[in-house]
Amino acid sequence: MTTLSYVQLSSSINPSFWNKLSELKLDVFKLNEDGKDIWGYFPITVLIVSSTNCATPFLEVDSTSFNSEVNGQLTYLKFHGKLYNKNTLEQFKECNKMELINGVGQSITEQIISGKALCDPSILNTFLLLSFADLKKYHYYYWFGFPVPKGLVIEKIASSPIIEEFSLELAEKIHNGYKQLAINQRCYFLVIKGKSGLEVYTLAEKLKDINLEDIPEVYFVFHNISSVSSSIGSQLRNYVTLLLHECKFLANEQVNFIAFHLSREKSRITCLDSICYKLKLPAVADSTLTSEWVGWEKNERGKMGPKLANLKNSLDPLIISENAVDLNLKLMKWNLVPSIDLDKLKNTKCLLLGSGTLGCSVARTLLGWGVRNITFVDNSAVSYSNPVRQSLYTYQDSVEMKPKADAAAENIRKIFPGVNSIGYQMTIPMPGHTVGDSMVNQTKETVEKLIQLIESHDVIFLLMDSRESRWLPTLLANAQQKVVLNAALGFDSYLVMRHGIYVENATEQSMEHPEGYRVIDGANLGCYFCNDVTAPCNSMKNRTLDQQCTVTRPGVSQIAGSLAVELAVSLIQHKDGVHAPAFYTTSQNVSSQDLSDINPSNLGLVPHSIRGFLSSFEQFLPATQKYKNCVACSDMIIQEYKEKGMEFLLEVFNSSKHLEDVALLTEMLKETDFGEVLEFSDEDFCSQSSQ
Amino acid sequence: MEIGLKMDHLSVEYFGKCIHDIVSISDAILDGWVMKIKNDSENGKYIVKKQTTLLKAPEDASEVPVTFEYHVAYNISYGVPVLCFNIWQPDGSLLTLEGYWKSNMAFGDSNMYETLTQMDHPVLCKPFLSLHPCKTQEILQTFLATSKNPVISWLTVVGPFVSLNLLEEYVKHC
Ligand SMILES: [Zn+2]
Repeated sequence: MTTLSYVQLSSSINPSFWNKLSELKLDVFKLNEDGKDIWGYFPITVLIVSSTNCATPFLEVDSTSFNSEVNGQLTYLKFHGKLYNKNTLEQFKECNKMELINGVGQSITEQIISGKALCDPSILNTFLLLSFADLKKYHYYYWFGFPVPKGLVIEKIASSPIIEEFSLELAEKIHNGYKQLAINQRCYFLVIKGKSGLEVYTLAEKLKDINLEDIPEVYFVFHNISSVSSSIGSQLRNYVTLLLHECKFLANEQVNFIAFHLSREKSRITCLDSICYKLKLPAVADSTLTSEWVGWEKNERGKMGPKLANLKNSLDPLIISENAVDLNLKLMKWNLVPSIDLDKLKNTKCLLLGSGTLGCSVARTLLGWGVRNITFVDNSAVSYSNPVRQSLYTYQDSVEMKPKADAAAENIRKIFPGVNSIGYQMTIPMPGHTVGDSMVNQTKETVEKLIQLIESHDVIFLLMDSRESRWLPTLLANAQQKVVLNAALGFDSYLVMRHGIYVENATEQSMEHPEGYRVIDGANLGCYFCNDVTAPCNSMKNRTLDQQCTVTRPGVSQIAGSLAVELAVSLIQHKDGVHAPAFYTTSQNVSSQDLSDINPSNLGLVPHSIRGFLSSFEQFLPATQKYKNCVACSDMIIQEYKEKGMEFLLEVFNSSKHLEDVALLTEMLKETDFGEVLEFSDEDFCSQSSQ
Repeated sequence: MEIGLKMDHLSVEYFGKCIHDIVSISDAILDGWVMKIKNDSENGKYIVKKQTTLLKAPEDASEVPVTFEYHVAYNISYGVPVLCFNIWQPDGSLLTLEGYWKSNMAFGDSNMYETLTQMDHPVLCKPFLSLHPCKTQEILQTFLATSKNPVISWLTVVGPFVSLNLLEEYVKHC
């Protein structure tokens, strides 16, 4: 004699199950720990497609497991489940597991005794799931159990393939009979080989009529869940429990069983891989059966114990969105620009001084490049005219007159929660804007704050709407050798530039450049103020860029903001970084293609500045030398700042003339012809563009 | 099919008919394809099939059972069918693009990001893994005039790269 050995189901959880459980826990279950009815699905297809090399039979649960009606697909056997979701990890760990599985087993027995299982034998296929959902971490602790009575021992007397016991024709008849059965009757049914021929019955139809003398003609059929036809699913023990209850005379008898198994033979599904068993059933009282149940699933270490599913990457929408954003950039890297360093961009900290049209446009393009650290600075509040041009604000922000820096920082997180954004509301002190005695301390604090902000960021964007307000950050960022990107707008023109990097006593380096071009290395490139000889006080001339109340064509800020970011990215990705040389030409007849060989940057050219004009839809890439008497970036100014610090700054705020003195401009103004000093001026371009 | 001769792309109606046929064939042989319909959407019909397979774990070559859920849906903008899928382990955690790449020998030495990608499901708008859709139109084109079911023909070409092998019954209907 041999005792039967069984195959146990394994659990397979569709991610949608955890999703739904989390939802229900929050909205419906809340703190209620009572057992909930759920459905499990056993896919018959796994058995049919024997080619899938996966021998473990899986019971699946998914989001529809919580529905009141079972998903009645033909390809699944349904399992009745009880879910016990605990409120804490302690309760999950400490609850009495034996009691739990016995309780579920008990209810199987009760339904056998009440006759309910006879009418719906799918009840014999039962599972329980003990769980604890840590919704913050997306960690799910869980333990499946497939209860079967412990004390039930079945002896195997003999087994043979179905075709040795039935003719092909009769086997086909069994299959057809199976197909006629309702889905919940298909897991356990009867085949009787009587004098009048073979018939297929549901248990409810015939079981009670069977007598001891009928036994040789009766086959108790069960849908075997084992994908290997020679082994048997453990649920057989529940079936036998029901049979012993209904037909007490079966105790100690040898009885025919069919382990029903569907498989595919070419285009046909057959039951020819089914196996007939002769089994000797035990003599046990109902009470023994009901007392002890076993069937907890083993964990991945092969031990009796719960499992932990970490679904953070699969379910946390925050992680999903971050991964999707990153993947987009990775595709660009792999398909187009393999040498691009995405982590470098991700870790670049960007400070946006000015959170208006330019600030919004820059921030959004930075997001697209995967930049995760963006700080906004502005001194104004969102007004009614802003939202249509400034892409980070809404009408509601203007109703509430929210400070722009805060609103921008908050709204960009709504667009992409993975970004670290923060806003500072502050007015940047300006040359010539006298600081009264009462304001001195506050001004000092603001300067300190600005110094600290520049220090803690890598790239500084100057995106204000006034020329004067750019002076202090230009100087401070220069002194700290930070990358500075500057964008300024006219009505239908824009200027985007990178400031040269400050290197003490920089010497000019000679570099190769193609014919028709000139080149300036990064340390000798000018700043926004290099082109303008006079200090940035009230504008003396009728300037087109950066003027108070400048009205611009709406697209200008979007273009300039995007260009500022693209220029920054090209610079960051250049092998020389801020020292990347700028090539430029003053001739109209030179093709820029010549430059691609000489300037090894994975994203192409890194110009010094980009000037564009919408009136002619033209764009130029001029470059200018650092001006030795510049009021913002010259050695003299930086030295003076480094020596005198705040004292120097306060003097400048009180009188911009002081700047001109320090930069020795006052001397110069007397003797120099500006035209020679400047490579380009705004006026050159304005006249050009208006032609 | 008559209209097949004149088509240079697969219409959403024709796609709907093709996947309907796939489900009919599948029902007869219990192959598991299920029709899903999202009502308020022009291309709301798609079919889904689950399949459990063993994948080799990249670390120790041990075999891990995973469930593939294949979706065949229609992309309105490009007028092509899309094969996308998710893969999860028994505990419900999804495999990443990189994780799947490492265990799928079918890709050989080719560049992962040129072959596989992640894209939004055309109907569900959620990220799914997918074979790179670039060549779909090209492959489809060859079947539009000749096959009675271009979707099946296309699937038989691209499916095997991601462990989706169509049975002979389907091929008979092309
Ligand atoms: Zn300068």
